[in-house]
Amino acid sequence: MAFDGLVPALARAPARDKALLGSLLAAALAALAFGVVAGAWVALTRAGAAAPAPENGYRLLTSHGTAAFFFWLYFAQGALLLALAMAHGRERPALALRPLAWLGGALMLAGFAATQAATWIGTPLLYDAEPDLAAENRASALLFYAGYLGLALGLAGVALSAIATAVAGKRERGGAPWSAVTFGAVAWAGLILVSAVAVVNAFLPAALWAAGAGPLPADHSTGWHILFHNLQYLPLMGTVLVWYALVRDFTGGGSVFGERFSKIVFALYLVFVPPTSLYHMFLEPGLAPLVRALGSVLSLFVGVPTIAAFLVIVISLEARARAAGRRGAFGWLRALPWGQPAADALLIAVLSLALGGTFSFVLIQEKLAGLLSDTFFVPAYFHFLTVGTVSLTLLGGIAHIVPSLTGRAPPLRRLLRALPYAIGAALLVFAFAGVAGGLAGLPRRVLDAGYDGLAPAAWRAVSAALGIGGAAMAAGVLAYALALLAGLARFGAAAAPAPAREAAPDAAAIRHSAWSAPASVAVLMLAIYAATAFAFDLMRALPVQASGSGH
Amino acid sequence: MDEDVAALALVFAIWALLAAAYALVPMLSMPDAARVWGAGAAVFLALAVWVARSRRRR
Repeated sequence: MAFDGLVPALARAPARDKALLGSLLAAALAALAFGVVAGAWVALTRAGAAAPAPENGYRLLTSHGTAAFFFWLYFAQGALLLALAMAHGRERPALALRPLAWLGGALMLAGFAATQAATWIGTPLLYDAEPDLAAENRASALLFYAGYLGLALGLAGVALSAIATAVAGKRERGGAPWSAVTFGAVAWAGLILVSAVAVVNAFLPAALWAAGAGPLPADHSTGWHILFHNLQYLPLMGTVLVWYALVRDFTGGGSVFGERFSKIVFALYLVFVPPTSLYHMFLEPGLAPLVRALGSVLSLFVGVPTIAAFLVIVISLEARARAAGRRGAFGWLRALPWGQPAADALLIAVLSLALGGTFSFVLIQEKLAGLLSDTFFVPAYFHFLTVGTVSLTLLGGIAHIVPSLTGRAPPLRRLLRALPYAIGAALLVFAFAGVAGGLAGLPRRVLDAGYDGLAPAAWRAVSAALGIGGAAMAAGVLAYALALLAGLARFGAAAAPAPAREAAPDAAAIRHSAWSAPASVAVLMLAIYAATAFAFDLMRALPVQASGSGH
Repeated sequence: MDEDVAALALVFAIWALLAAAYALVPMLSMPDAARVWGAGAAVFLALAVWVARSRRRR
């Protein structure tokens, strides 16, 4: 049977597999709701509109980071990974190693509970959980580290189930090559397994120390940097794969470059992950100058896989739309199903990636990293990526598949269509305020940057904008998460069957020019160059030299 | 060789080379990186073998 779309394929999956996907998604959305409420509170504290006790303020910041950056992203990625492996990988969608996937989900849930409990009964460690901070309360630190280790083991279980599902599908098809999406899912699952190893590498020594079974880790920050590099790449890889799968569903056709070329692009993520990690070490004082230079050069490749995937997806979309008769400079965009919430989420996700990518290239310049890494520039740029790009993509992907799990469309469709634009607008306020503040030296990881009235006036104005933008962004994301949770709880109207889409044949599509994506990438390159040059000029004008610690 | 197996094997080779560089080149000398990327190389080798064996068993 030919692949007829993600939603119809998942709808044919066994009820127990749908129950697992639904449970993982419910856990993801609950973690997201919890994380953004904590984040909003932190943002309002920054703006002076809330005043939790200092220790509780850092607990809120820790809960925000762990719930939103770790558990929301990994519950959601786990669910979508299983969905793609099952729907694209097998003729009759069903999970292999199902008990392992359930066990993985349970371990992740236990890990979430452990990190949050440890945060609120013990010392708040922030999401990188330096053991030095936990010297006075090792018991709660042990619980916190156990939570991260539970997340790692759970993710490994889910990833192994996804891989086994794809392998079972390959066997059923007589060993025929996987589809590009199935191969991408296996590559994604492989990177999840490596990230689980990186979690263990970073936090097992700390857990042993907290349990009194080992020395205080001397190089926790190095392990964290390696893990953090994976945690930046992994959700982006998943995001791009979800884009690819959704656009395939939207248009009825895959890449005009062929399945094999798409596999090469997905494999590029894995090729570029290890060599580009050196830039996280720029602030290590003992790093050899040659390694710094090598890290600078290699860091320029960090965006290559994502840009390559963007080109494949958008060129294919445009070429197919033009072959189907769409005219005008941007007429091809009308080929997207704008009535579906996922399309709006994807549009804002792509725009956010362009902005986040631009600022990330500023930050990874070796000469600027030391000056900006302890400023609000860092949370400002990475919210473009974590909220605008990754979270909106995952939310859009979830909105897309909920009808296949419940038979009902998520309620409040108009609200779901509007929310990405509202979230995007709030994100612009938050992130541009943060970038401006960061360039003016506004520190991150402090609850009140007023310093008893001694702080520069610009910091106060920026902090107010951060509070407004951050709270509005959190409110939008919370509303999206609650609407999807209601959808999982079977609120909403019965889902209409997805309209059958017949894509223009590859042979017809490749005869049409598709210039939008290459032109967008050219604009992006110019923006990166301009932003980096501006930041260098600004920093050269500073009367002092500064250095900081890693992000 | 099956294209899926070949791609996974290529990833293994690159990660193994990087892990070796992190472990053996004195200027780099990053045991943590060698450990993680080395484990990653093992993961992708195991994946390639798993997929290759599944083809033979069909």
